[in-house]
Amino acid sequence: MKKAVAMLLAGLMVASSLTVTVPAAEEEFDWKKFDGEEITVLFSEHTYADAVEAKLDEFTEKTGIKVNYSSMPEGNYFEKLNVELSSHSGSIDVFMTGAYQSWEYATAGNLEPLENFIDTDLTSPEWKYDDFIPAVINALKWDLVPGHPVGEGSQWALPMGWEVNILTYNKRVLEEKGLPVPETAEQLLEDAKALQEFNGTGSYGLAVRGLPDWGTIHPAYMSLYSTWGAKDFEIEDGKLVSKVNSPEAVAMTEYWVDLVKNGGAPQWATYGWEMCGADLGAGKAAMMWDADRGGYTQNVEGASAEAGNFAFGMVPYPESAGKTADDMRSNLWVWSMAMNADSAKKDAAWYFMQYFTSPEFMLWSGTEAACTDTPRTSVLESEEYKNSVASAEGYYEAFSKVSENASIFFTAQPYFTETTTEWAKTLQKLVTTDEYASVQDAMDELKEVMDEMVSDLEVE
Amino acid sequence: MSEQNKGGKSQLNKVPFGTRVRPYLIVAPSLIITIGIMVPFVMAIWYSLTNYSFKLPTHKFVGLKNWVDMLTSTDFWNALKVSLMYGVISTAIEMLLGLGVAILLNNLNNKLSRVLRVLLVFPLMVAPVTATIVWQLMLNSSVGIVEKLFNIFGVYNFPWAASPKTALLTVIMIDVWINTAFIILLVLAGLQSLPKSPFESAKIDGGNAWFNFVNLTLPMLKPSLYIALLFRLMAALQEYAVIFALTKGGPGDTLMSLSLTAYQKGFKFQKFGAAIPFILVLWLVINVAAKRIVKLQRNAQKQAAGLED
Amino acid sequence: MKTGKQRALNILMNVLLIIYAIFALFPLVWMILISFKSDTEVFTTTFIFHPTLSNYQQVLLRSDYARYIRDSLIVSGGAVLVSIIVGVPAAYALARYNFARKEELAFQILSYKFAPEILVVLPLFMIYQKLGLYDSYIGLIWVYQLISLPLLIWVVRGYFEDISVEIEYAAQVDGYSWYQIFFKMLVPLIKPGLVSSALLAFIFAWNSFTFPLILASSKVYPVTVAITKYLGTDSAHYGQLAVAATVSAIPAMVFALCIQKHLVRGLSFGAVKG
Repeated sequence: MKKAVAMLLAGLMVASSLTVTVPAAEEEFDWKKFDGEEITVLFSEHTYADAVEAKLDEFTEKTGIKVNYSSMPEGNYFEKLNVELSSHSGSIDVFMTGAYQSWEYATAGNLEPLENFIDTDLTSPEWKYDDFIPAVINALKWDLVPGHPVGEGSQWALPMGWEVNILTYNKRVLEEKGLPVPETAEQLLEDAKALQEFNGTGSYGLAVRGLPDWGTIHPAYMSLYSTWGAKDFEIEDGKLVSKVNSPEAVAMTEYWVDLVKNGGAPQWATYGWEMCGADLGAGKAAMMWDADRGGYTQNVEGASAEAGNFAFGMVPYPESAGKTADDMRSNLWVWSMAMNADSAKKDAAWYFMQYFTSPEFMLWSGTEAACTDTPRTSVLESEEYKNSVASAEGYYEAFSKVSENASIFFTAQPYFTETTTEWAKTLQKLVTTDEYASVQDAMDELKEVMDEMVSDLEVE
Repeated sequence: MSEQNKGGKSQLNKVPFGTRVRPYLIVAPSLIITIGIMVPFVMAIWYSLTNYSFKLPTHKFVGLKNWVDMLTSTDFWNALKVSLMYGVISTAIEMLLGLGVAILLNNLNNKLSRVLRVLLVFPLMVAPVTATIVWQLMLNSSVGIVEKLFNIFGVYNFPWAASPKTALLTVIMIDVWINTAFIILLVLAGLQSLPKSPFESAKIDGGNAWFNFVNLTLPMLKPSLYIALLFRLMAALQEYAVIFALTKGGPGDTLMSLSLTAYQKGFKFQKFGAAIPFILVLWLVINVAAKRIVKLQRNAQKQAAGLED
Repeated sequence: MKTGKQRALNILMNVLLIIYAIFALFPLVWMILISFKSDTEVFTTTFIFHPTLSNYQQVLLRSDYARYIRDSLIVSGGAVLVSIIVGVPAAYALARYNFARKEELAFQILSYKFAPEILVVLPLFMIYQKLGLYDSYIGLIWVYQLISLPLLIWVVRGYFEDISVEIEYAAQVDGYSWYQIFFKMLVPLIKPGLVSSALLAFIFAWNSFTFPLILASSKVYPVTVAITKYLGTDSAHYGQLAVAATVSAIPAMVFALCIQKHLVRGLSFGAVKG
């Protein structure tokens, strides 16, 4: 009899662990506490958002909370969000944001600090705050003082997924041309130059973004900029001071202009991530330095003409500047969800947020819904996850290795969009015109402009 | 229904009150529907005198600071130049091309022209942002079809929107592709409604085709042409979608028009107060241009009416 | 001699028209070709490829595309309808009557086209939220009047002005009622202007982007806002975008085909202009 009970229990345990639902502790947590409430969610179109959308019905079933879900394409998402938030009407309860944008929203008082919920009885013990990868969760903390690093202060948002910016290369092309996989910046430049017109007119070595906005600065450029040892701002005498004309910054930018001019796309200045990925996938670009996801999705069978030929490198470091593999820095991007400070249904909104950032949901989304950039340690270390990304050569190694040195290398400040837009425009002018006598001149001028932009910020 | 006043030939002060207010009553619904827009317009003017920003919880009056900042910035003068160049050049090309094509469609009364009368309007029907993306794919130097065509003629890697030298040309070309159809449609409708009798008498007089065009067609068509010019120029000066979808204003500041600058400042940098003056200048420019064109249109209308009678 | 010259001119005119037609239509052909290409072939093929319907399946069957089209039809169609109902009488009054401040009034209506949508859209957003018009069909139909009404009034007004007053008097003398005169005599004469401006108004309302982006959300979702969805998030699905764009152009194309024969001035009873 005892044996039978034990077997039954064991069987039950196996069954429950297989279905990954309702572990014992949750019986104490009241998921139905806000039954009947209705919240509004605005997301940007993304794989992470798709995963949430797919499970909305399950959420409603479990909690009784109804969700008005809508999503906007990324190109116009922030404009729409800015208008909604600025009305202070609480028209949206939960929305998607990046870490950089959260600096602007938090400063404007649009974000609800989440520590008000995290350690309260409104949070299921299964949720596990400590399970988030430290670099990622810390990127969403800030004390609102411009110039202070992220990682201190309030928790403004929770990560949905994150991206490191690494090299994706077409191993078939590199092998055919007898070129080594670039580990250093110097090698990257050499390869990129050697690969010009490797596959007919218009084909080129390295795809990177070039449009005049922050999207051009934050992936590859900022990663190499930091690896080179350069900083965007520093605090001097209680003021934020731009450092884009420091010797490291100028040396790096000189390198970058050379790289883009002689190894990049002929129409670089009009390139966003779409065209970078498209050229890589079509075999017109041999390498791409952008978010890991971009390369990863081109490699999925049927996604592109060159699918299956891609492998992942890391962050090429500048040997000439005395850097080694240990100096590799990858600037990271975190898609995250945040709560509107003007929301009238914060408790129900928190239920939504914790459900869709829970280890259980993220294991599912990380392995079955293509959200490979999981922000949870438990998922990253699980066998299911390792198996699901195994087909992408070097991906797991690069992702886990680069993650060690990944962080946000921008200085947290509320004029992020403006300063990076100006920065990208300067790069565009350097590449497409002869307006400046030297990179030094251009960066000196940029420094002045950036200083002016942040001049009204109180640092202390 | 006594309609003695019709045609406005009688003196206003002699007609009864009911008849006198009738036109106002007929126009009133249109005005009421659109007048609501005056409220946001006035609000926007007020914002231009404040530091209204999405980032600040409240806003306060700052006088003419935003205006002074704008007038002393190089951004503004560049933006004004870009808007005027884009608006004037694209409208001029579209007017000439549209008039030419409409005349061809009207004169060639064959199967081809009857089919093209419908087909040639289609470019308008693709949303400008999408149309621009299609063009971007065609013009791309690594995968585009136009590049392949150019290669035949020995031209390689034409930079299109990626170079400051050719960016304006590229966006104007796309604008012309989209909007010439607008001119064609309006001018064709104008041509189709020209009365037959003056031409018949001209035929009897033995006037040649060019003489007929300059002395009969053109004067009678002028009112329609001015209407087409008016609406096209107003839209072209405000154009935003094509530039934004193609280069976001780059390279550098090459294509940062007034609309784009205002949009960037207002919705991206969230400084609404600072963005509004850029649009109000645009409003002023268009107002002046429209007044002028409307005056020409009214005169042309009177002349055309005289010709027909 | 003369016929030879005329024939040459005729050929030249046809050739010129064909050249323009290639410029105007090739990008559309290209867009339609892309809509039949798989992601692997969009960039690596030109005219020869393996056509697939998968993009159509993705967009039409596996998304809410029909709903976006419906919303667009309601707001754009509604906007044009409202514009015609209030605009045609206004155009008539502005053409026929002589009254104080007439030209100022006409210019006032025109002036709503002077400012980019971004000037008024933020204040409108706040007003709409207070009035409960945010994210509603009526809200968009109303704001679309800024796009459709000035164009319609100004174009149609010109056509009314072309009609001489005498024929109206004559019809009155003959004992026709005002609505017989309006619908049976005037409407056929203004038809080319009415249908062409209605078509253009419909197209511009249909293509409007900023207004629906800011003033609508989950309940009303026109196709222009939805369309870049199909570009995708991690890799760009240009094929699906092409499908969405092609399908979204169909209503306006049908509209254009339907009005084609009305672009020619109709015969109105009892009168020829002039």
